[in-house]
Amino acid sequence: MIRSFLRTIFALIALAALDVAADDWPHWRGPNFNGISNEKNWLSSWPAAGPPVAWKAAVGIGFSSVSVVNDRVFTMGYVDEKDVVWCLDAATGKVLWKHAYDADLGDKFFEGGPTSTPTLAGEVVYTSSRWGDVFCFEAASGKIRWSKNLQKETGLRIPDWGFAGSPVVHENLLLLNLGDAGIAVEKETGKLVWTSANKDAGYSTPLRFARNGETFAILGSAKSFVAVNAKTGKESWRIPWPTQYGVNAADPVLDGDLMFISSGYGKGAGLFKLSGAQSEAVWQNKELRTQMNPSVLLNGFLFGIDGDTTSKASLKCLDFKTGVLKWAESGIGSGALMAADGKLIVLTDRGELIVAEASPERFKPIARTQVLGGKCWTVPVLANGHIYCRNAQGNLVCLDVQAK
Amino acid sequence: MNVTRRHFVKSATAATLAFGAVPLLRAQSTRKFRTALIGSGWWGMNILREAMASGRSKVIALGDVDTRALDATAMHVNDASGDQPKKYRDFRELLDKEKPEIVIVATPDHWHSLISIAALRAGAHVFVEKPTGHTVRESRAMVDVAKATGRLVQVGLHRRIGPHFVSGMKFLKEGGAGQIGMVRAFVHSGGGKERPAPNADPPEGLDWDFYCGPAQLRPFNTKIHPGGWRNFLGFANGTLGDWGVHWLDQVLRWTDEKFPRRIFSTGGRPVQGEPVLNEREQTSDAPDSQIAVYQFESFTVNWEHRKFADNKAEKSAIGCNFYGTKGTFHLGWRDGWTFYPANDNDKILHEPSQIQEPDGHNLTLLWKNFLESIDAGRVPIGDVESAHRATNMSLLGMLSLKLGRSIQWDGDKETIPGDAEANQLLSRAYRGPWEYPKA
Repeated sequence: MIRSFLRTIFALIALAALDVAADDWPHWRGPNFNGISNEKNWLSSWPAAGPPVAWKAAVGIGFSSVSVVNDRVFTMGYVDEKDVVWCLDAATGKVLWKHAYDADLGDKFFEGGPTSTPTLAGEVVYTSSRWGDVFCFEAASGKIRWSKNLQKETGLRIPDWGFAGSPVVHENLLLLNLGDAGIAVEKETGKLVWTSANKDAGYSTPLRFARNGETFAILGSAKSFVAVNAKTGKESWRIPWPTQYGVNAADPVLDGDLMFISSGYGKGAGLFKLSGAQSEAVWQNKELRTQMNPSVLLNGFLFGIDGDTTSKASLKCLDFKTGVLKWAESGIGSGALMAADGKLIVLTDRGELIVAEASPERFKPIARTQVLGGKCWTVPVLANGHIYCRNAQGNLVCLDVQAK
Repeated sequence: MNVTRRHFVKSATAATLAFGAVPLLRAQSTRKFRTALIGSGWWGMNILREAMASGRSKVIALGDVDTRALDATAMHVNDASGDQPKKYRDFRELLDKEKPEIVIVATPDHWHSLISIAALRAGAHVFVEKPTGHTVRESRAMVDVAKATGRLVQVGLHRRIGPHFVSGMKFLKEGGAGQIGMVRAFVHSGGGKERPAPNADPPEGLDWDFYCGPAQLRPFNTKIHPGGWRNFLGFANGTLGDWGVHWLDQVLRWTDEKFPRRIFSTGGRPVQGEPVLNEREQTSDAPDSQIAVYQFESFTVNWEHRKFADNKAEKSAIGCNFYGTKGTFHLGWRDGWTFYPANDNDKILHEPSQIQEPDGHNLTLLWKNFLESIDAGRVPIGDVESAHRATNMSLLGMLSLKLGRSIQWDGDKETIPGDAEANQLLSRAYRGPWEYPKA
């Protein structure tokens, strides 16, 4: 009796261990799907030399960011003609397991390699490749529960830079940005549930929002942002949003019934009010033209990257409600940012890590340090007292920012 | 400046004043040219930006077979200048209806000659990207038509006017590196095996048949468009036909000889793998590595490119090394130029690059020279005849590679003496209804 009780307790503890703790970062855009961490107690100011480096790892060419749950770090990279999914020990960087599968480097116009981020959900981790390979692994062991190539199964077009959105779990489904308006498979089996027209996908990750008891997923498509019923795939609304080369990559930013979208190639940004099956523009301008990494919204202000990799990109702050530019900081390039405890964590495209106040007055850096060389287009991630930064060549550095 | 030259300039100025030509020149130099861009992608937009920034272009029309590129470029033009260019799928219709005075041609290579010739015949001055042709004879036709029409052609050889290239040439010509007996030009990068990507229907708004134009029609694939056509030999000539033109052009700028006498090239796809082209999928087909040897009368040039391993053992992965009796002169790109003297006691000399980022070119200077040349009616720095010779360097290298043996070259007659099979490759069959251009 007691033994059975203890076993139950241990089983519960084991389960809890895989649950998402408050300061984990289990998937792209973090626990709240908005680029903002729940983490508060971390060191945001450092000596000139920067915070101590806990470990470094080489994860292969690519732009996949990290997901962190408890003591495990997940990311992807391209090594020796294969994509590799890595599970690393968060304390040491040691490889706990990895899985490699044949993949094209796909280095047209950039270094190539994987561009999506692993998605942790309970005891499994989902990954997707630029060419439609989708995997469900046991997070603890790396054992494959199921895998398939959804592009080959559906014949959906591969957009110019391959599929870039990360998988998103919704109830019993796994949502992916393939096709004109997404695709859904059963998360337990990978069986196809719904699909969309055979037109080019955009490069964003499906973003869910609930309205009147229904859940919708918003997807950046090649020429528009489109919302579909997450359960059925039925289209709800579509905002035409054409850009050169069909690149709608930055995820929308949601606040109540307001949705902010932005794209690069000179396109610009807009705020839309979502009501029922409609969406109506609040403002549109060209102050923030985000090519890849999405903005974060803090206290009514947007912070995001304006400009393309081929231009002099800068970090900008906009008033969310009006679109009015508050400030612009050059020298950031096509970097990326997240936020935690009211502060911005920015990695410039040349590998400088900057912590700054999320102030609408001006750019107010608190700490900055060079952490990587090469090209950095991947968002830095703060999780459990550590900041993870990587470059295109796959140098991953873990910095210790635990409050002492 | 020596006294004689100063005297000459002063006299020339006096003469100009005496004939009252200054007001006329001034009137000309503020005139806006009706400008059209054909091939409205990334690089075309780079050139058009220079045209708009010069303040001397009114952008009246854009041409592209992809409406996505047309729409986006039209938006950029409107943002930058307020101009509202008309959009055309067919360049012939554009030329016919708009009568542009300047046409920028920034399509894939297989269209350069046909479109430039059509623009010249329509009375426009042409700024065309290098190379001047996909095969030698169509490039020659562009030169001849330029002469016949009296219109100006500026070829996008911005490395002729970039400050460190100019000073580097001066250093070499003044004998800074001594007598040069050998040149090595090279472009290396990293990479590995290439896997095929699935073919697909062309995206909405792309006229794929028109895109392929005179080249062989092949299934649409995102590896080709946008931007990947350089690695497909039906549309371009790989790395040698792209980078090779710039660096081999520097060799021709340095030497007094006009062309090589003998050419041999070898290479292939040992790392990327055999090309794939079937109904389902395809890879690119350009060589992943290539060596081309150009024998001139007084020196030899060796070209090499490699899309694997990069070049970490040497100081630079891109550029030209001129080997002279006084030392090695490295003419680079972002790394400027550096002279490594043979004598250990001499100092290493270096000049940094002065290029426009993020793409590392000198288009502002090249566009300025284009306008000045139009105004003054003089030969521009990227003139079509010498650009044709630079293009031939890479085309002849590719020709030898395809042929699998060395060729002689009579650069005056532009033939390969006594080799009928090789001469066949100086042109190619066009896919109908397009006709191979003749002067």
